[in-house]
Amino acid sequence: MGLLDRLFGKTPFGPLVEHTRKVHECVRLVKPLAEALINEDYEKIHGLQDEVSRLEYEADKIKHAIREELPRRVFMPVEKEDFYEFLACQDKIADDVEDFAVVLLIRHTKVHKDLSGELLEFVGQVIRVSETLLNAGEHLLELVETAFGGVEAEAVLERVRQLGEEEWKADRMQRKLSVHMYEIEDQLDPMTIVFYEKMLHELSSIANAAENAGDQLRQMIIKD
Amino acid sequence: MPVAAIVLCCLLGLYMAWNIGANDVANSMADAVGSGAISIKGAIIAAGVCEFAGAVLVGSHVTDTVRKGIVNPDSLAATPEVLALGMACALLAAALWLHGATLFGMPVSTTHSIVGAVAGFGVVAAGWGCVNWGKMGQIVASWFVSPIAGAFCAYWLFRFMNRFILGQKKPVKSAITITPYIVFIMSITVTLATIFKGLKHIIKDVDWLTDGVALAIAVGVSVLAAVVSRVLVRRVLADKTGLELTDQLQAVEKVYAPLVVITSCSVAFAHGANDVANAVGPLAAVIDIVKEGTVRMKVHVPLWVLALGGVGIVAGLATCGYRVMETVGKKITQLTPTRGVAADIAATATVLACTRLKLPVSTTHTLVGAILGVGLARGLSAVNSRVARSIFGSWLITVPIAAALCIILFLAGQAVLL
Repeated sequence: MGLLDRLFGKTPFGPLVEHTRKVHECVRLVKPLAEALINEDYEKIHGLQDEVSRLEYEADKIKHAIREELPRRVFMPVEKEDFYEFLACQDKIADDVEDFAVVLLIRHTKVHKDLSGELLEFVGQVIRVSETLLNAGEHLLELVETAFGGVEAEAVLERVRQLGEEEWKADRMQRKLSVHMYEIEDQLDPMTIVFYEKMLHELSSIANAAENAGDQLRQMIIKD
Repeated sequence: MPVAAIVLCCLLGLYMAWNIGANDVANSMADAVGSGAISIKGAIIAAGVCEFAGAVLVGSHVTDTVRKGIVNPDSLAATPEVLALGMACALLAAALWLHGATLFGMPVSTTHSIVGAVAGFGVVAAGWGCVNWGKMGQIVASWFVSPIAGAFCAYWLFRFMNRFILGQKKPVKSAITITPYIVFIMSITVTLATIFKGLKHIIKDVDWLTDGVALAIAVGVSVLAAVVSRVLVRRVLADKTGLELTDQLQAVEKVYAPLVVITSCSVAFAHGANDVANAVGPLAAVIDIVKEGTVRMKVHVPLWVLALGGVGIVAGLATCGYRVMETVGKKITQLTPTRGVAADIAATATVLACTRLKLPVSTTHTLVGAILGVGLARGLSAVNSRVARSIFGSWLITVPIAAALCIILFLAGQAVLL
């Protein structure tokens, strides 16, 4: 009604953190998915894929709500482009999780027993990368309180640096896993290898997307 | 006839005062309500008391016959009835514009409305030459000066508070050390504003209250306030130094809640003291003209007229202000007490400085500028730039629209009555 109150848009940072959390919830399902794959419990994979799909849809809904409620011409403590880019990066993480679930769903691929331990370890690391992002992202609300400056900003930037480190670890694990896979290639049929490649690709995409989101978060905080 | 004219003008003055209360007052308390430091009911009562006190106790007892000397009354001395009609029309025009602005929720300046209306009347009744264009130039300049100055002060004040309190590792501990300084700045601004802007009209009667003495009083009061605040803040925050960062920040904001109520009340007080004249000034002029039958440069404003203005303002606040404040309170949640204090202090200091420089600035303009200044310091999470532009636009059109309205009303009134 009044111009003075319409001057203040609804703060988009609360929903943004909600989005971060929803995306991480999605990533967390990668572990039960991998376990179900190893246990060859395809029924469960089906159920988990549904759940991933649902979470991804919910994250999308949050994203659209943020886009709808943010005024077109808005003045924010961060660049609007950086803000949207960060949202898009997080969105990509959830998409990658969904792709991973679909890879598991479309073919009943068996995991070679020599690889299963390393696969779970890799999956664990991918989740850790996403966790580090969540950790940094959840502090956005405090950053709003402290006007994106001071000790709090430093702390978040430090977490983003950690994120890079965790992603690097995930990369290394993936390489090791690939090397191991081709060492025993004689025991695997070519189609299985193709699907292993697909899985590894999707998993590393998740970690990569999380790292990109972290970089975007840094970009958002350091305005000048 | 004279009695009828006076009664009619009183009604017009009451209508104008009602509009001032409806349009402006809610904004002066916006920072306190938005930050949740005070309930809507509490804000209405506090604003009502402060506005009424400001209007009646320190509202100008002497006023220029024509608001702000925008038109030279000498040029109309031969025709007092024209001047009386003009002032009545100016009141009605300004009040109508304010009413429309309130319906659209535009925070416009009451001073600029009445000045625009009076200028419009002056141009028609006495020609271009009698309007004080230098004064008009100052008003145009103030559209840019007051929001920018308010924004500038608020930007640096909030940056300071953020850097030394909110951005620290232990915000609670820093708040204990720094808050007395903020209270000092706040207190000196509020005291000086109250003395110069609020009490300036009775200062003339008190010989010993020179600028130097006023400053000394302000410093003394402020040192005392700082010391008291140090004790209080220490007591409230002493056991909160070990909390999580988020809880610490909340504890600090809580400490600033009473401060933002105080600063908002001082904005309301100064507002009442100054803006009541926009309603009662022209009214007093008409009463004087009708009684004396001549035109004088300055007229006396009887206490009952000031009280009438005060009642009108409070009535506007009570009937319309509630709705405005409710929306303001629900929407401006980004404005935490620390941000509100920064904006209020900046606005008060800017208005004070401009008043001393005899620049006719608007409290509303300055406050909106100051709030945006906090935003520039990355203190607000989303400001709608399009709305900011239309608010600025509403300021620009206030003078011309009020002038045009007044011209139409005056010409119509002249045709019918004179």
